[in-house]
Amino acid sequence: MRKLVVFIILLYKFSNAIAQEFEINLSYKYMYSNQWDKAIQTYNFSRPFISEKQPLLMHGSNASISYIFKSTKSLKHGINLSYSYFRSSSKNENFKNSLNLHFINLGYAMHFDSYNKMKGLYTDLIISATSSGLFRNINGQPFVYDEKKARSFGIGGDISLKLGYKIKFNTQSSFSPFISLGYTPYLYSTNSETLINQTKGLASKNWTNILSTQIGLSFHI
Amino acid sequence: MDRRDFLKQSSLIAIGGLIVPSSFLSACRKKTLFEKINYTGKVLIIGAGAAGLYAAYILKSKGINFQILEASSNYGGRLGKLEGFANFPIDLGAQWLHGKNNILGDLIQKSNTKIKIDESNTVYWFNNQLVNSVPQNTTIFEGDNLPDLSYKDYALQKGLGNEYKYIVENIAGDQGAGASQISVYGNNKDEENWSSGFDDFKFEETFFDLIDKQIASQVKDKIQFNSIVKQIDYSQSQITVTDSNNINYSADKVIITVPITILKSGDIQFIPALPNEKTTAFSKIGMGAGMKVFLKFSAKFFDQNIIGGSICAAYADDSIGKVQNDNVLLAFVMGEQAEYLTSLGSDAAITNALLQELDIMYGGKATTLFISSHVQNWTTNPFIKGAYSYSTIGMGDARRIATQSLNKKLYFAGEAMNLNGHHQTVHGAIETGYREVINILSDLKR
Repeated sequence: MRKLVVFIILLYKFSNAIAQEFEINLSYKYMYSNQWDKAIQTYNFSRPFISEKQPLLMHGSNASISYIFKSTKSLKHGINLSYSYFRSSSKNENFKNSLNLHFINLGYAMHFDSYNKMKGLYTDLIISATSSGLFRNINGQPFVYDEKKARSFGIGGDISLKLGYKIKFNTQSSFSPFISLGYTPYLYSTNSETLINQTKGLASKNWTNILSTQIGLSFHI
Repeated sequence: MDRRDFLKQSSLIAIGGLIVPSSFLSACRKKTLFEKINYTGKVLIIGAGAAGLYAAYILKSKGINFQILEASSNYGGRLGKLEGFANFPIDLGAQWLHGKNNILGDLIQKSNTKIKIDESNTVYWFNNQLVNSVPQNTTIFEGDNLPDLSYKDYALQKGLGNEYKYIVENIAGDQGAGASQISVYGNNKDEENWSSGFDDFKFEETFFDLIDKQIASQVKDKIQFNSIVKQIDYSQSQITVTDSNNINYSADKVIITVPITILKSGDIQFIPALPNEKTTAFSKIGMGAGMKVFLKFSAKFFDQNIIGGSICAAYADDSIGKVQNDNVLLAFVMGEQAEYLTSLGSDAAITNALLQELDIMYGGKATTLFISSHVQNWTTNPFIKGAYSYSTIGMGDARRIATQSLNKKLYFAGEAMNLNGHHQTVHGAIETGYREVINILSDLKR
């Protein structure tokens, strides 16, 4: 335990030495994926025996961290690591079906921040590689067939633009409410239809694009 | 602008710019296709098999007027149930659920239907003896870059000689075909999208019971039985369907779910005639002979699966997966073997031929312990005429062409019309049933 505390202190000191700031973001995330919508809509249409329909994958949460490198310029650079989670769950007798969707993004962040000129307003442009994992649970258990868990992985690219407003706690830390818009032009997810509608090539394509928006809070240290 | 004002305005922008559009988009995004339908037209479904019943079930759930015309006196198509022959119900037709990652897997879960994975052991009749395995690998019919050859020719090319003839027949028979009929390339191409899983399941009751209780029960009051469709006139805005009783039925849309053999043989006259491209596509889709013979014995002398017989390439213990265990052996006869047995002319002759083969395998025990048999010959059923569809040599994209709708009036469903790898299966037929309802409703919006 002592070693861990020492490690965290050292990491903090090290990051202070080379980083302008850490940005920790927590947000609500809204997502629109045309192809996943189609797959779920087909699933619901084709199963009249399910009275409570499967919700679309649209509401989720996001946590991310940006590491902005030290610079005297208004435009700074950094890296961003982000995790998002979406869930769609329906409860029917004998049949509780849930879809759990996870995203992990790792990307390059451009942080434009001139506190004096912009009075706390800042923007982040983040270009990242994204990977997704979609999983299905039935009655609280992972859905298994052929002795394997049903899952669908995806890979693609994402670009997002964040607009926030910093409110300082003190000279070293601040927080900021923010909004963000994101776009994934291509996410290759070959068997997401197989996981959602249990077909392939009937309801949707093996790739999708995604639009997303976020509203949340950032903490800057 | 001071900080307080800025924060106030930022909040309003955030609410206006993000939450309101998100809420609006959420409301616009419907959970299901065609959530609100106001279609007053009538849909006629020809055939009360799995595809027809499911199409009807979907139409009913959407409040659309429909009627089913069924040629025989019962529903289910190539699903059927025999009671009283043994102390467990017998599946006369489709028997195994091929994988559970499909719509029927969900229905089974929802309805709490009991199924069991079929993990029965297999023995092979090879070089005139029963053995647990054969020397050479016989899983050669799947993979990339396969040639458009028959299973029979490809097996010979791969060194599986005459001693493997009936083992290869069994592999082809699983696909509803004789080994000389089915294409290695075509079958792989058609199964590219198979996504259901590879475990086989058996029902504690029967497959028919699932479809009967969960689907047919919802729509059977709308079935017109003994209505053999003879003519479909789609030349006018209203389609007129005439059956063997000379009764005319009027409809705006028709979903045709009859087996591909019925479409190939021209049992239904279309006015105007179907395009050549369509009839050529039908003719390229194979559907071979098939029968199931149930042999009941006073004692169990047989193995769970016996592969490689020259009269029947696949025998299976029919009590696997059942609660009761009468000694019933299923002879699953496909392709040329089914044609041969059919040519014998009577159920008794068919039974004798099978018993003789089993006697050779098991030292005369079959005839000694035999009690009774039931022959279900799907080939001689005039409304089925075979087992299920298979991919022929040179078939190309015949399934896709066969499936295309005509003039936004005629729609084609059934296991042979499945394009997503699930042809030959009940869940595949069901997928085409709901797919064609989607196509009808999509055409209405265009």
